[in-house]
Amino acid sequence: MTGSAAVLGLTELFYLIGAVLLGANLFLRRSALLVTGRGAAIAGVVLHTVSIGLRCAELHRAPFTTPGESLSLLAWVVALAYLGTEALWRLSAAGPFALGLSFLLVLLGAASRSAGTEAGGANAQLLASNAISLHITATIAAVAAFALAFCCGALYLIEHHILKSKHGLTWMKRLPPLRTVETAAFTLVAVGFPLLTLGILSGLVRALGGGLPHGWQTDPKALLAYTVWAVYGAYLLARLALNWPPVRTSYVLLVGLVLCLLLFLVPSAAHRFG
Amino acid sequence: MPVALIGLSHNTGAPVALREQIAFTTPGALERALRRLRASLGDACEIVLLSTCNRTELYVAAPEEIPAGTLADALLAARDTPLGADLHPFLAERRGHRAAEHLFRVTAGLDSMILGETDILRQVKEAYSTAADAGVCGRVLNPLFHEALRVSKRARTETDMGRGAFSIGHAAAEVARNIFGAGQGRTVLLLGAGKMSETTARHLTAAGATSVLVANRTFDRAARLAETLNGRAIHYDQFASHLARTDIVIASTAAPHPVVTKAMVADALRHRRHRDPLFFIDIAVPRDVEAEVGDLPDVFLYNIDDLRRLVDEDLAERRQRAARAEAVVREEALAFAARQRIAQTAAPLVSSMRAKMRTNTEAELVRLRQRLSHLTDDDWRAIEASFAAVENRMLHDPTAKIKEYAAAPDPEHVAARMEMVRELFGLEPSSGADVE
Repeated sequence: MTGSAAVLGLTELFYLIGAVLLGANLFLRRSALLVTGRGAAIAGVVLHTVSIGLRCAELHRAPFTTPGESLSLLAWVVALAYLGTEALWRLSAAGPFALGLSFLLVLLGAASRSAGTEAGGANAQLLASNAISLHITATIAAVAAFALAFCCGALYLIEHHILKSKHGLTWMKRLPPLRTVETAAFTLVAVGFPLLTLGILSGLVRALGGGLPHGWQTDPKALLAYTVWAVYGAYLLARLALNWPPVRTSYVLLVGLVLCLLLFLVPSAAHRFG
Repeated sequence: MPVALIGLSHNTGAPVALREQIAFTTPGALERALRRLRASLGDACEIVLLSTCNRTELYVAAPEEIPAGTLADALLAARDTPLGADLHPFLAERRGHRAAEHLFRVTAGLDSMILGETDILRQVKEAYSTAADAGVCGRVLNPLFHEALRVSKRARTETDMGRGAFSIGHAAAEVARNIFGAGQGRTVLLLGAGKMSETTARHLTAAGATSVLVANRTFDRAARLAETLNGRAIHYDQFASHLARTDIVIASTAAPHPVVTKAMVADALRHRRHRDPLFFIDIAVPRDVEAEVGDLPDVFLYNIDDLRRLVDEDLAERRQRAARAEAVVREEALAFAARQRIAQTAAPLVSSMRAKMRTNTEAELVRLRQRLSHLTDDDWRAIEASFAAVENRMLHDPTAKIKEYAAAPDPEHVAARMEMVRELFGLEPSSGADVE
């Protein structure tokens, strides 16, 4: 086992501990659980950063050339973005979702590596292109923001249901206010959407430069990325111009996340660097 | 000095008519009462008088035990005017650690009429600071009240006793906080200028609502209420046009039919920016807001029954938490009593044990100085330091043991052990230190 893999294993453990403790805090409301959960999340992000750095040193290239590495990077950005939202809006209720997602993404990445789908960066020179680096980084950051926006959207729907049904309001006190959750979801999409636009544009710039397999224009990953862009664009339009009620726009966020996951999992000839 | 408590409250069966008569709540009444109590009980006494609408309790620490009757008479005599009612059947008396435990329970809100309410904490703080300012608190009541405030904080933090709604207005403010969050400027529209809507509005402004509009059929009444709430009165027939810019509506008119219709709210929603939620608090009977308004997306409609149910649910939850808070208070009261026993019984014994040892050491040093006159000052300083170190080492274990004995809960057991230590070290017989 390499050093980066060992640290990544520890990272996974901290994400899981953070998710469990913050989840338990929702039910038990103990400040010790909240503080320890936050601590685990910070420790997870720090270890993950170390793991990515070690992986860079081991491979002598950027560590996002394979699906496994991309998933690991996405998990890192999701956890990092969660810490940001926690600092901004005190959204500890999103912690179990976000850290749970980071845990699953790291797990999927590890499974992907052990299943032998990793080729090891034979075409890593492709990554020397600034456009590709920007393409990958911006897309992953955008998807992380959308993943957190999904957490907020899900929280919004839960809270909306509780407030409408008037049952479980005692439990509701453990969650952030409805308005805060909606503002957080919108802000995350408003940040993620330009990042995704940048990711798609930089990908197009690189593709137009040549050297990609024939038929890259109809590559499933590219087509899905356009769909994701359209879905989140529609969300912003509905939120800002069409005056849709937040309960409806929250469903758009759920659809958006499913498409984002597909974006990472769908096989693509034009997006293999290994 | 033992602590004694005498007082009455809703829990001692004192009717409200008596509670309001005995209360020292008028401006300056408490300060005057403390002066009179000091004069009648003596300058050596420490006094705190806790007086609220639901309880009047006198806490006294005196060098000698004061009979309950004397305390009750002093309490009555402390009033500005004579009380025309018999107080004695409703008075409760507690002494020693039971008085401390009672104060801990009171401060934690466990003895309150509304279980877990937080007002009592402020009232205890005020009673204590008034006594401290008057110079009638000392080495017994100072630590007792500091401890009571600390225990209250611990009980409330560990059990969430202070959380939840205590009234309809409070419940409405809690739901508003769940929707909008705290400290966010929100606009509240009052339909009707009744007492209940005013109380609810005050809870909401305390929770962060910054703008208040008041609409009432009688404009003058709306204007008066708006003035007290730092708000603005609007004409009743124009309230619908303000709904689009309102976040919370408190409806409490005496209208016999709904005054807020679904069509009216749907129209207002179309003109709201970013579809902010709209919260209706309908505390009128018959209801002021059509029930169908609650079916609109992002509109939350709570009527008086919904809010009453929230208050009841929170009360049931607080009752569950109260059992845990009681355990915290009991544990702290026992620990406080143990510390008091140590302070009152172990400390004098330890200091007389140390004094005896010091006397013997100094006598031995005098003898040595005569025999070893050739030694220098530096040598003597080293010898004295060695003697002091030996003294400390020898007394360390007995001191720890004495404190352990003193912390035992049984006073007779404590007294027997203390006597044993006195005999063992040949100390003066007990002066009857209080072990309560």
